[in-house]
Amino acid sequence: MNDNATTVMRLLAFTDSAFPVGTFAFSGGLETAADIGAVYDEATLEEYVRDMAAQAAFTDGIAALQAYRAAVAGDYDTMLQADRYVVLCKMNAEARSMTRRMGRKMVELSQRIFYDAALSRFYDDIRRDTTPGTYPVAQAALFAACGISERNLFCSHQYGVINMILGAALRTLRVSHYQTQRIMFDASGPIESLYEEVRELGFDDMCAFSPHADIIASLHEKGVKRMFMN
Amino acid sequence: MKAGSTIPVPQHAVDFSTAREMQPYLDEPKAMPVGTPGKSGYLYLGFELDGDGRSIMRDLDRRAPLIVQQELYFDEGMPEMPCVYILSSGGPNVDGDRYRQYFVVRRDAYAHISTGAATKLAEMRYNYSGLSQHIVLEENAYLEYLPEPVIPCRHTRYICDTDIVVDATATLFYSEIYMGGRKYFGGGESFLYDVLSVCTHARRPDGERLFREKFVVRPHMRSVRTVGVMADYEVFANVVVLTPPEHADAIYDATQAYVDPENRLAVGITRLPGGCGLLYKVLGDETEPVKRLVRQFCSRVRMQVKGRALPEEFPWR
Repeated sequence: MNDNATTVMRLLAFTDSAFPVGTFAFSGGLETAADIGAVYDEATLEEYVRDMAAQAAFTDGIAALQAYRAAVAGDYDTMLQADRYVVLCKMNAEARSMTRRMGRKMVELSQRIFYDAALSRFYDDIRRDTTPGTYPVAQAALFAACGISERNLFCSHQYGVINMILGAALRTLRVSHYQTQRIMFDASGPIESLYEEVRELGFDDMCAFSPHADIIASLHEKGVKRMFMN
Repeated sequence: MKAGSTIPVPQHAVDFSTAREMQPYLDEPKAMPVGTPGKSGYLYLGFELDGDGRSIMRDLDRRAPLIVQQELYFDEGMPEMPCVYILSSGGPNVDGDRYRQYFVVRRDAYAHISTGAATKLAEMRYNYSGLSQHIVLEENAYLEYLPEPVIPCRHTRYICDTDIVVDATATLFYSEIYMGGRKYFGGGESFLYDVLSVCTHARRPDGERLFREKFVVRPHMRSVRTVGVMADYEVFANVVVLTPPEHADAIYDATQAYVDPENRLAVGITRLPGGCGLLYKVLGDETEPVKRLVRQFCSRVRMQVKGRALPEEFPWR
């Protein structure tokens, strides 16, 4: 995989929050965390963002890398296995719904932009409901088709999680763009070492420990007050 | 083992060799090596209906330090329910212990399993303690697994893997309560253990996978004292309910998710993948209110599925 100018352009386009997969509609649990006062300022927001990014690395991040390697190797069955794992290991109902909506949208978009046989097959299977079509696997398939590197896929995935929460923070907390960009800058620091750790892991290593966030997510799921879809 | 039993005793060895999180802890304990008699606990509990339609513990096989005596029928809310307490003659789980537990509830049978006291996990210096569990529920079977809390202490290393095979018509209530440590020991311990690795996964008898939840907690590597993880709570309960969708829907609708700052409790419920059941979580400061909430939730499940409530807990529990 060469990170030439074209693949970097595509990486930027697919990672941009303007890429219309609906990221703006989700808050990664922040809406309720802010509502109950668990996240209320820059410091608690940074804590929350860093934790959510790390939790995502050891769940969706692992699945994305496994799916990516399968896509590059033309191993479609393992790619679908990664897709199933994302859903099996995602304990929160709204998060499962989010990942499937965004994944489907990403694959659907790719169909309008360029042709790739594996992506078309994946899209057909999503439409037939034979595979869930999760976001990390859709990202992996799209990035593999465009020759974007595995490391950049991981960065894009992490950026997506962090940026989604920070974007929602601007609408739910009293924080400024300066503060959210500072958090983004600092939260990017550990990403290289996180990637080095996660790249060695397989499906059996997928794990998350966020009981407080899980409870916050279920408050949203059962609640009636909402601006975001999670 | 009962002749003609539909489920043979699985021959799984306790094998955690693929668990990367335990790799740093593979030295042989100096006192008693892994595998020494008394360090390999084993239980096989098989429940079924007898000729009179009564649910009984037909199969009991055990190896020290795990002890189960006979089933008792002390549940006043459901006097026909066989109740079993698991005891451990060895005191806490110590360095290099490997336990296996099999719970099998055959067609239409029902049972309640708990532990006699909290499961204490001792300090470990060389190796780790592991528990491998296999739970099988046949058609229309019903099992409540409601053990006392697990208490890890300083430098505990513990791994628990639970494999569940559940028929689509059966109901399993499976709860675990983890304390952060020996809160009132010495100056107080809170998340000073080395590693707690817990994986629970379920499938249908035909092999269809239902869900897999794994958490690995290594407080020295990543603090648990952050928003989203444990925040400032001490006790964590995780409850899996596998039940047909009509029961799951009713239980879900009747269960509130809330944060109660005054009593320092947070409660959440969500649906498991594929509509196979529910996941209920509680965070709190002390075990007592968390245990009470888990028990109330179990009562709601029993009421929905069996039409009966759990009785009041014994005052000495």
